[in-house]
Amino acid sequence: MKIVGRHDEAPGVKTLRLEFQDQEDHEQFKKTFRTGMFGLYGVYGEGESTFCVASPETRNEYIECTFRQSGRVTSALANADIGDLITFRGPYGNRFPIENFQGKNLLFVSGGIALPPTRSVIWSCLDQREKFGKVTIVYGARTVADLVYKHELEEWQDRADVDLVLTVDPGGESPDWKNKVGFVPTVLEDVAPSPENCIAVICGPPIMIKFTLISLKKLGFDETNVYTTLENRMKCGVGKCGRCNVGSVYVCKEGPVFTAAEVSSMPAADL
Amino acid sequence: MTRILFSDKLDNCVTRWQSAGFSVIGPVTKDTFSSYAAVEHASDFDLGIVLPDRSLKELFFPQTEPMLRYTIKQQAINTEDFTPPSGKRLIFGVRPCDAAGLSIDDPLFGWDYKDEYWFQRRNDSVIVTIACTKSDDFCLCTSLKLAPDTTNGSDILLRPLENNKGWQVEELTDRGREAFLTIAEFLQEGSEPAAPMAVVPEMFDLDTCVAWLQNPENFESKFWKDISMRCIGCGSCTYLCPTCHCFDIQDEGDTYSGIRRKNWDSCSFALFTMHTSGHNPRSTQSARWRQRIMHKFNYFPGKFSVNSCSGCGRCSRQCPVDMGITETLQKISTLHS
Repeated sequence: MKIVGRHDEAPGVKTLRLEFQDQEDHEQFKKTFRTGMFGLYGVYGEGESTFCVASPETRNEYIECTFRQSGRVTSALANADIGDLITFRGPYGNRFPIENFQGKNLLFVSGGIALPPTRSVIWSCLDQREKFGKVTIVYGARTVADLVYKHELEEWQDRADVDLVLTVDPGGESPDWKNKVGFVPTVLEDVAPSPENCIAVICGPPIMIKFTLISLKKLGFDETNVYTTLENRMKCGVGKCGRCNVGSVYVCKEGPVFTAAEVSSMPAADL
Repeated sequence: MTRILFSDKLDNCVTRWQSAGFSVIGPVTKDTFSSYAAVEHASDFDLGIVLPDRSLKELFFPQTEPMLRYTIKQQAINTEDFTPPSGKRLIFGVRPCDAAGLSIDDPLFGWDYKDEYWFQRRNDSVIVTIACTKSDDFCLCTSLKLAPDTTNGSDILLRPLENNKGWQVEELTDRGREAFLTIAEFLQEGSEPAAPMAVVPEMFDLDTCVAWLQNPENFESKFWKDISMRCIGCGSCTYLCPTCHCFDIQDEGDTYSGIRRKNWDSCSFALFTMHTSGHNPRSTQSARWRQRIMHKFNYFPGKFSVNSCSGCGRCSRQCPVDMGITETLQKISTLHS
């Protein structure tokens, strides 16, 4: 894949836009990719890392990935330039069944670097806006600087057909911060979206997911209407290397997308 | 009357197999350490040991193995897949538990993406197993509902004669039959009785253990902390295990050329599941030991209808802190689920 775009999202967080070099691979990707799936992005000599496909299924001319520079592979990806070639293996895993979300209100709840998988679903739905009801997005990060896709957040904020609620953790606000201050689950309870005819898609660090599930339950959401994605560490992506499983579930094959009902049947201590 | 292979003809057989194109492999002791390795003569075999220190797994799923080679020249990336070394192999003197280990891992390597490395080697290998007439305190095949003469994964089963002068030959597969056709002239019809099988006492009731493991309430039982307190997370049990199959993928090289490799990994290691953020779903040694036991006796059989343990006992036999599957399951079988 060729890097055709590169964007700094937040300190240490970058987005790369990638284009296929091989027509056949691209056709195959277009046929199989649905929002929620993931891939293994790699640089020869450094290795491969697993991230979601952050771009929506409605825009499959390219792939976007957003990642935090942290280890060997992500450093190599962060240092790669426009025009450089990197590898992509995928798309793997299951998807968000957005055709079943049609006619329903959508609630997206996301924290920090977990906006990328949520954003893929958000755009997949916004690109066919007329098929869905009310769209509410609750997104929080540790600090104002850590919010990713700032340009897109502005765009959503300006749209009349999207309700965007932004928050930062206490202490993470800047002097000119006009949005909320507080942890995502608390803010979500303040916003109190109605569970009526509503699908919730949540993604965040494990601790956020844990408390957001509790908040959604309080708000009256049925576990089968709540979707999340479990992005565990992976190496092979094809159900063999043995590290991504939570209980008996292989996240790479049976996930990464699960309903809250499925998550509650997994051993909580292993999440 | 059964067909007999007498020990004094074994060297003729080895030579014949070699001239038929087989690389002949078997249990070999070097210094104080035993493994399945290539031999030149039958005298190189060490058939007197209970079982080799290292399992048969590494001949099918090596500790490290190249997957592809890459070269990068002025922005152009060239990759070349490694094909697994092919060539017929005859593995003689395999223990039934090691052979069973192969058949346990077949469905894992075959679901979703079919691992060509594994299956190429499986197709290229004839497994000639010798039933066990002796065992040690660590053997636990009978506790796993297997036996000292289990035939799973074997192409030929040899039963040692009572007089210790050879083996009764049982052909189990076409592949085994073909390999033994080449040595037909060295086999004799005979009525020598087979030696009694090793007596391996059942050390726990597997069904009781599985029921306990399947009860979600026991997932966070204090038992896990207690039993794994002395585990040092060295990973020996997983590396010596004939069925443990977890691996890592790493690049070895620089910006211009190198090799992508598949290496053994272990669920005993903290880094195995550590997220970039620092969050670790299995953050304690007890969670990792629980994972190993659960995977072998609850998750894996749930997916592939077979326990991921063939009862060789290496995990207990060679654990530096004297833990192992046997002790854990023995204790579980006494708990009330």
